[in-house]
Amino acid sequence: MSQPTVLPRHGLSRRSFMAGTVSAAAAAPLLASAAQAEAPTASQSKLRQPVVTSLRINKQVYELSLDTRTSLLDALRDHAGLTGTKKGCDHGQCGACTVLVDGKRVLSCLSFAVMNEGKDITTIEGLASSDGKLHPMQQAFIDHDAFQCGYCTPGQILSAIGCVNEGHAGSEYDIREYMSGNICRCAAYPNIVAAVLQARDETKGA
Amino acid sequence: MRPFVYEQPTDISAAVAIASSFTSRDDQPTRANAQFIAGGTNLADYMKLGVAEPARLLDLNRLKDPSLRQIRVTDDGIRFGALVRMGEAADHRDVKQRYPVIADSLRLAASGQIRNMASLAGNVLQRTRCEYFRETSWHCNKRAPGSGCAAMEGFNRQHAVLGTSDACIATYHGDFAQALIALDAVIHAEGSRGTRKIPFAMLHRQPGETPHMETDLAADEIISAIEVPAMPWARRSLYLKIRDRESYAFALASAAVALDLDGETVREARIALGGVATVPWRARAAEQSLQGKRLDDASAGAAADAAFAQAQPRKHNAFKIELGKRTLVRALLETRNMKV
Amino acid sequence: MDAAAPRPKENQGEPLPRIDARLKVTGQAHYPADLPTANIAYGALATGTIARGKVTKLHLDDAREVPGLLDIVTYGAMDKVDKPKFGNVGATSIAPLHDRTIFHDGQIIALAVAETFEAAEEAAQLIRADYEEETPSASFDSPGTKTIPAAGKSPLFKEDVKAGDFDAAYASAAVKIDARYSTPTQHHNPIELFSTTAYWQGDQLIVHEPSQNVTGWKVELARQLRIDPANVRIVSPFIGGAFGSKGPMTPRTAIVAVAARRLGRPVRCVTSRMQAFGTQTYRAETRHRIRIGAGKDGRITAFAHEGWEVTSRPDAYVVGGTSATGRMYDYGSVLTHVSLVQADRNTPGYMRSPPETPYVYALENAMDEMAVALGMDPVEFRRINEPKKEPIGKKPFSSRSLIQCYDQAAEAFGWAKREAKVGAMRDGDWLVGMGCATAIYPTAVAPCAARVRLTADGDVRVQCGSHEIGTGVRTVAGQMASERLGVGIDRVSVEMGDSALPPAPVSGGSISTASVCSVVLKACDAIRTKLYAAATAESGPLAGSHNEELDLADGKIVAKGGASARVEDILKTMQVGAIEEYAEFAPKGAPPEALKKLYSGMPEFHGGEQDEDAVKYAFGAEFVEVRINRYTKEIRVPRLVGAFAAGRIMNTRTARSQLMGGMIWGIGQALHEATEVDRHYARYVNRDLQDYLVPVNADVKDLQVILVPEVDHAVNPAGVKGLGELGNVGTAAAVASAVYHATGKRIRDLPIRIEQLLV
Repeated sequence: MSQPTVLPRHGLSRRSFMAGTVSAAAAAPLLASAAQAEAPTASQSKLRQPVVTSLRINKQVYELSLDTRTSLLDALRDHAGLTGTKKGCDHGQCGACTVLVDGKRVLSCLSFAVMNEGKDITTIEGLASSDGKLHPMQQAFIDHDAFQCGYCTPGQILSAIGCVNEGHAGSEYDIREYMSGNICRCAAYPNIVAAVLQARDETKGA
Repeated sequence: MRPFVYEQPTDISAAVAIASSFTSRDDQPTRANAQFIAGGTNLADYMKLGVAEPARLLDLNRLKDPSLRQIRVTDDGIRFGALVRMGEAADHRDVKQRYPVIADSLRLAASGQIRNMASLAGNVLQRTRCEYFRETSWHCNKRAPGSGCAAMEGFNRQHAVLGTSDACIATYHGDFAQALIALDAVIHAEGSRGTRKIPFAMLHRQPGETPHMETDLAADEIISAIEVPAMPWARRSLYLKIRDRESYAFALASAAVALDLDGETVREARIALGGVATVPWRARAAEQSLQGKRLDDASAGAAADAAFAQAQPRKHNAFKIELGKRTLVRALLETRNMKV
Repeated sequence: MDAAAPRPKENQGEPLPRIDARLKVTGQAHYPADLPTANIAYGALATGTIARGKVTKLHLDDAREVPGLLDIVTYGAMDKVDKPKFGNVGATSIAPLHDRTIFHDGQIIALAVAETFEAAEEAAQLIRADYEEETPSASFDSPGTKTIPAAGKSPLFKEDVKAGDFDAAYASAAVKIDARYSTPTQHHNPIELFSTTAYWQGDQLIVHEPSQNVTGWKVELARQLRIDPANVRIVSPFIGGAFGSKGPMTPRTAIVAVAARRLGRPVRCVTSRMQAFGTQTYRAETRHRIRIGAGKDGRITAFAHEGWEVTSRPDAYVVGGTSATGRMYDYGSVLTHVSLVQADRNTPGYMRSPPETPYVYALENAMDEMAVALGMDPVEFRRINEPKKEPIGKKPFSSRSLIQCYDQAAEAFGWAKREAKVGAMRDGDWLVGMGCATAIYPTAVAPCAARVRLTADGDVRVQCGSHEIGTGVRTVAGQMASERLGVGIDRVSVEMGDSALPPAPVSGGSISTASVCSVVLKACDAIRTKLYAAATAESGPLAGSHNEELDLADGKIVAKGGASARVEDILKTMQVGAIEEYAEFAPKGAPPEALKKLYSGMPEFHGGEQDEDAVKYAFGAEFVEVRINRYTKEIRVPRLVGAFAAGRIMNTRTARSQLMGGMIWGIGQALHEATEVDRHYARYVNRDLQDYLVPVNADVKDLQVILVPEVDHAVNPAGVKGLGELGNVGTAAAVASAVYHATGKRIRDLPIRIEQLLV
């Protein structure tokens, strides 16, 4: 039994690597919530300096000062305060973090937020109209009891809208297949399929 | 995750120049200080796990060259820009009609969301999903050269039986690559030493003694396009993927098959195998065994035997030999029966 | 007709949509890690990489250099805190930061706290340990494990049940089988990650954490931290799936609370998907030997069920499903024995139908084998052995509608069209197989408290410290209040998931609906009594009416003759703006201290096999069709029908959804789910959703749930039997039976995979 705890890293050791590249100033705590005027943009970024990233989330522009490592998911949840988007695995294996970026469904956990500069992002909070009327897909999920605990639901709904808009909701078979990237551990799957079928026509172009 | 500097070059030569200035000639792309990102579905995952640790990330999504995002179909073949997303290619009408094996391999891979994110070039460069590779505390020659391989005596049901070595048995989990290698695709790469074309079959390296050397690319080389020649067998082609669940799972075994038939007799066969090998796997012996033969259960079975003649099983993956053979037989017969 | 909302039959409630549905589809349902908390610091766990030994040195220097790092909580930090306890409330007695001993893979060795999530993660990844390693024992058959009898090791498993003379009956049986079965390690993998957010306001500790037992945790956390339980509040308004995993509190909770106290600011720690495999509980692997003897007429005369379960070194976690399997049929004689196998593993814990999922799988697969051995239809075989009384204590069943379930499910499934001959059914290249199995789950109920308020405006508020884990308990509690107080469901609000609310038992063991509805019923009836008293007082509008002639509907008290009085007016005469009642419910036959235990976070379950008057179970019958490709042998389950009888159904929509989800869990049990343990290192290998497979949408096609009407007044005042765990019992055996029917191969080890069919 000689399984080492952590294997040697390639190249420079972590310590020497950091000692050589981090200035004293950069070691100050990062300010996560507010944009800093002096923070560089992506093209001028330096190691450990926050980058100002402009995201258009649910038609509202957010200027966020972010660690380059911050995922779009964490930017939405921890920096924009939009906690409707859920973290289920953080590795692209469950679909709970699905949002629409420029209209396409993607996994926000596998996208660094800085990569989404200037993009249009739609989260679950942006679907209902301002008068409170639900998006047809949201209503369909209620009508067909397409969830139990509700945790995967925001991702399911955004994925369903993406699925319809991609043209992959033509049959129950297609819906099942193209919705398989969203794991529902409560297993509301048949109800999710029924919901997508109901909302399909109203969703197109909605 | 290790911190990184993020940059958004707008043309390939700038991207190559930045990469060159932060990497040396001998750096493996997967271990270089500066690495490229497109969809991020593989790299972001491995950065979070501490498997990939670039200090500088070069985002290729702002590259302006429109051809990087185009699929061009001509009578000579098909050319995929490197930044075309898997989903776009899978849904492309001409791809579906003229190269069904490509469309199938993309459609059956990953999930709708991942297919919207992952670029085609990134897809073919995806790294193994071996759990002993993913978790940094295990011995792994691919991740930490010379540290050993815990998978050899560990739980290795997902592991490869073809192209393995004493150093590594990690499976190449991609699907699209099987279609590409079967169809003699060519990779276009641009780097500090100019542009070059790489036959797809030369892109990935078998592990041998150096499993950390995964591809033929240099650390400052960028794939710009993937070209597939038009060949008579492309239309009669399919990708069959066998997995534990119906969707969103890696292949236990898969087969990309393309056939040029004269009646039921095989003029040419193109065969690649997935889920069973360390790299995208062209089964040339199987192809040759079919040439000029009537395609039936017996000849398909003989081809499958030829494909797995060199297979090396481990404790939990021995079934992949039988499964791989049956997958190929089924794929061959289904391809034969396609209405083209 | 909308399949999601079955039309109610006798003793079944309306399929109202969930009262929290809008919150859930708009992203406004706040799960514990979503609750806004100011000035938060982020915690990330560092976990060990060996399964047995000692930490000799921790290397923290690299982590300390990470900019933004605030603190590292590790050995020494917990010295003034008491160790966790294993039991009803605590997941394990392993105290990871009290002691440098390593008991299992993935044990917590430190918590890094930083200004940002990214810095915390970076620092945690840089923490390294040196170990003094010992060779670990991974599981069954590993050298160094210790096998002990399970009986008496847990208050929940007192004895090995038996009846009659098994040995003699088995020896003389005309037809018999003797077979071994196994089930794998499994992890719950709710999609919500495990998290703890803790902050202190003076002496008050507030913890946001997904929990199935806020009251129990409050008391246990206070004990560990040596503070007054009144100063601890656990907040868990929505829970993103639990399945038992959020029932017992794990050591992380106290660690994060200590971190928050050290730092003087809120700390949030979201455990990664991978780390959860070692820091939470799981379903341990089991083995079974079953012997059944029967006459040629199919009557069982002898049944023996031996079980082996893996547990950790220090904690004797036992599920002991022989209690249910030993009472399932009219066996004649019964012999059971359960053993625990102690290995270098984290302590297992409850996972959806903890005893029944593995044990009934083994029994029902064996029943199918026995039917084959007898040359008998498997449904008929069960019909023949249907008991009038349970065979162990000879007590009656409070109700048992198993045969009705079989009849209705068989009819809907088209069982009559099944060709009995193995391998006879095909569809092109696909072998078709059909199988069935029994589902059973004990009906229990526990003490519970609730507060209900009815205002003059007709608004109702229900407060109960139970937990909405997706079952719909918030909805059915509201539904109960709506029915009893005569107001629309839209006027009812239900508060749950907070230890500041009236205490409720753990939301496990399928007791929530029964317990919560029983107490809400009681509180509502107390409100009715007050209203009626005022209405029927001499000066009241309904003077002379008797209570039993009155009902509440549409904001009015309505008398039999048609006279009515508005609730609003009655409250006016009472000179109050609202009536609020606090009610406590204790199950029939509960000892006098039962309610006191509720407040101390340890209420006891009643029902199942424990009551004097009868044994109490819910039953179901499940039928499945499998298809297996004749070349490549992949197994799919395109069709399932389940019929279930579970007493009063409060809401046919939420009941169907739970049963459907359970059956799909059953598909996962049968074909997908297994945590692989590396035999050499005793470490979990597939610690993620990439390789720990659960069913996805495409795995489910045609699934039908039939709610069989059943009335049972003996189980509890609400007449409700739990069904959250019923649906996934039996499914795996039905699949195994169908696989046999399709292929002639009897697979006894789960999950059933391609490789078992290729040979």
